[in-house]
This record gives sequence, structure tokens and C-alpha cells, in this order.
Amino acid sequence: MNFYLNGKPVSHEGDPAARLLDVLRDDFDCKSVKCGCKEGECGACAVLIDDVLYNSCCVAMGSIEEAHVLTLEGFRETKQFAALSKAFGELSAVQCGFCIPGMVMASHALLLKNPHPTTDEIREGLSGNLCRCTGYNAIVNAVENAAKEGDGLW
Amino acid sequence: MVNYAPKTLQEALKLRQETQSVPYAGGTDLMVENRKDVSYLFINRVAELQQVLEDEAYIRIGSGVTFTQALENKLVPELMKEAVSKIAAPAIRNAGTFGGNLGNGSAKADSVLIEYVMDAKIRLLSVNGERIVDVDRFYKGRRDLDLRDDELIAEILIPKQKIEKYAYQKVGGRNALAISRISFAGIVDTQDGKIKRIAAAFGAVADTVLRYKEIEKTMLGKTVEEAKELRETYIKAYMDNMVLTRGRVSAEYRKAVCENLLRDFLELI
Repeated sequence: MNFYLNGKPVSHEGDPAARLLDVLRDDFDCKSVKCGCKEGECGACAVLIDDVLYNSCCVAMGSIEEAHVLTLEGFRETKQFAALSKAFGELSAVQCGFCIPGMVMASHALLLKNPHPTTDEIREGLSGNLCRCTGYNAIVNAVENAAKEGDGLW
Repeated sequence: MVNYAPKTLQEALKLRQETQSVPYAGGTDLMVENRKDVSYLFINRVAELQQVLEDEAYIRIGSGVTFTQALENKLVPELMKEAVSKIAAPAIRNAGTFGGNLGNGSAKADSVLIEYVMDAKIRLLSVNGERIVDVDRFYKGRRDLDLRDDELIAEILIPKQKIEKYAYQKVGGRNALAISRISFAGIVDTQDGKIKRIAAAFGAVADTVLRYKEIEKTMLGKTVEEAKELRETYIKAYMDNMVLTRGRVSAEYRKAVCENLLRDFLELI
């Protein structure tokens, strides 16, 4: 199976039914992709495939032939990431950090579709990502700030 | 295991017949099950299954259409959109499909509940031809579908209809990422002060979605005033007929909630 990981062509020889989550972590050392539930319920393993948000635990390798997979390892090289990172930092939107890679990827996916989201739209966009530390408000505010200060990037 | 990744519908049907592999559309249910030693038929790249079309009689939703695509499509009926918008969260709606929601064979499937009240038909294809089956015949029981080993779910055919009033309620443990504990959809249309059509269905409370067409028939043709007077009689008829199973919540709780949802719906008349 051939696909693109963070812009580079890669191939995977293995079970087509394997989870993208496990392959990313074990074979490609993308440790930003966290395993929280393996049921699509927590969003910690969220990645973008062809610019659309998916939970990588619920994606089988056989389904992503020729697709472009983006994880935080690739996304952190972008200006969009810089805007999100700054906003998350300034608003103390990160505590233990486990959910944050998924939160950032979900935020990026939301802003790609909707560069000027309302607060409700941000909550909806992040509704599949669980955080047990922050109580969410700081994260929502951070995405709001990133959208303002990073205006034009998405 | 083998990787079956057809690009066309013809190829997919041929592989389905030859290999009896498990159709994989969005993966959101299959990957939770995480079956071992399974060969999937990856139909997520089959463009023919990813269209929403319209003909004289039906809105035709391809089995590979995702919930996100449906929400962005003008042809998809509002009632369906309301139910689909409450499914899980964006990452799941981006992957989950109408065919998968049906094929998983659960009475909790939120899009299937709407298919019941809208009298949808399921179009099944194999290399030998097509079958079109009413959704309530297709759903025989828990994980028990009228789907042959060589068939794929191709389309959901929703009869074009003008809906005057409808109710949709999903009772779950939280707003996002909730699996329905009880779900309800109802449609009621009146003409010249009389009930012209009524349909009510309950999801997630038994092995299949429940709809009682016999009870609905007793309401047809009644004037609005008559129907209001008979409301408690209708509710009792439903309660006498409904045999609910215990799930994540007790059967008693489910029944009490069903009664309340039905009562609210009948207030619409």
C-alpha cells in the first residue's frame, strides 16, 4: 500500500486491516498520534487525510491507498501550526497535553473549512476531542485567537 | 489478509461475489470491532456509490455517501440532516456512511430511523442484478439483514415527499459522541383538517427500529379534533404493542421515555 505521509511518499507492507493509528506510531514513529480509546470516541488519534479529519484508530490501511496523511509531525512545520501553537500557549490551553495533538489537528481541519468560525462552530468542530484537564474553554478561546491572529493563513 | 480495493462498482461487485469479503465503507464500526483474520472489500474509493441523485420518484443517496457530505448536499431531506447532524462528531461523520450505518445492522443507527419513517427502500446490487427492498423488510433483526453474500448496498431510495410537521429526538448520554439510548422520529401531515399521513418510529429500544403501521392506520382520516381526543388511546395502543429490550438502560426507562416522546409528537397534530 502506497500513501503520502506528511508530504512524502511511503509504503506499508502489512495487513490491510491494520489500524492507521498503530502503523503511524509503530512503523513511522509518529508518536504525536495518541491512542486513547480505539473506538473513535476521544479524538486523540485524529489526523487529516486529504485535508479531512479522521480518527486514525478507525481507519484501516487498505482504505488510504494514494491518500495524503497529515500528522502533527508534518503540520508543525507550517505557519498555521505556529499560529495555533502561539494561541494555545498564550491562553494556557494545554495541561497534561495528551489530547493536544488531536485538538490541534481538529482545529486545523475546522479552520480549513471555516476560517472564521463562531464560538459554537469551534465547539462543534472540537466536539469529538475529549480533554480531561482544561475544561475546554481555554482551548476554544485559543482556536478563536488563532483564527483572528492567523487570519489569511487558512 | 488480502487487500481488495476496487475503483469501480463493477469491479466491487465482482470481488464481492468471488471473495465474500466484508464491505468496508467508512470503517467507523468495523474498526471498533477490530476483527481478526478478515479481508475487507474497500469500497470507499468507488465513486459510483458516493453520489446523491434525484429522479422523478426518489432522492437516491449512495451507500458510500458520508454523513458530512449529506449535510452539505441540497437534495438530502431536512429531517435526515437533523438526525445525521447529531451523529457522533466531525471525524466520525467525515468517515461514516449511509451504507455502513445500515450494514452494521443496529437498531441504534440514526439514519436508519429516518429511513423507516420516510418509507425508504434499499437498492441492492450484485453481478446478477438488482433488488429493491423496503427498509423495514431489509432490517430483519439485530445484525440480521436481508443481504446476500454476493450483494452490496448500493443506494438508499427516499421517496420524494412534502413533510408538513416532524419531530426528531435523540436521547443520549451527552451531546457529542453519544450512541442513541432512545431515538424517535415522527411525521404528520394533515389535509382539510384531517390526518393524511402519520408515521412514528422508535430507535435503539429493541432488536430493530420499531414502527407500527397498524396503529398509524387507525389515525388516518381522523379530524384534528378527533385525533386530539383519542391521543391517550393511541398512546396506550403503542404501549401495549411495544416490547422493549434492556440495553445500556433498562427496558422500563426506555418505555417511559418512548411514551413521553410519543406524547410530545402527538401534540404536533
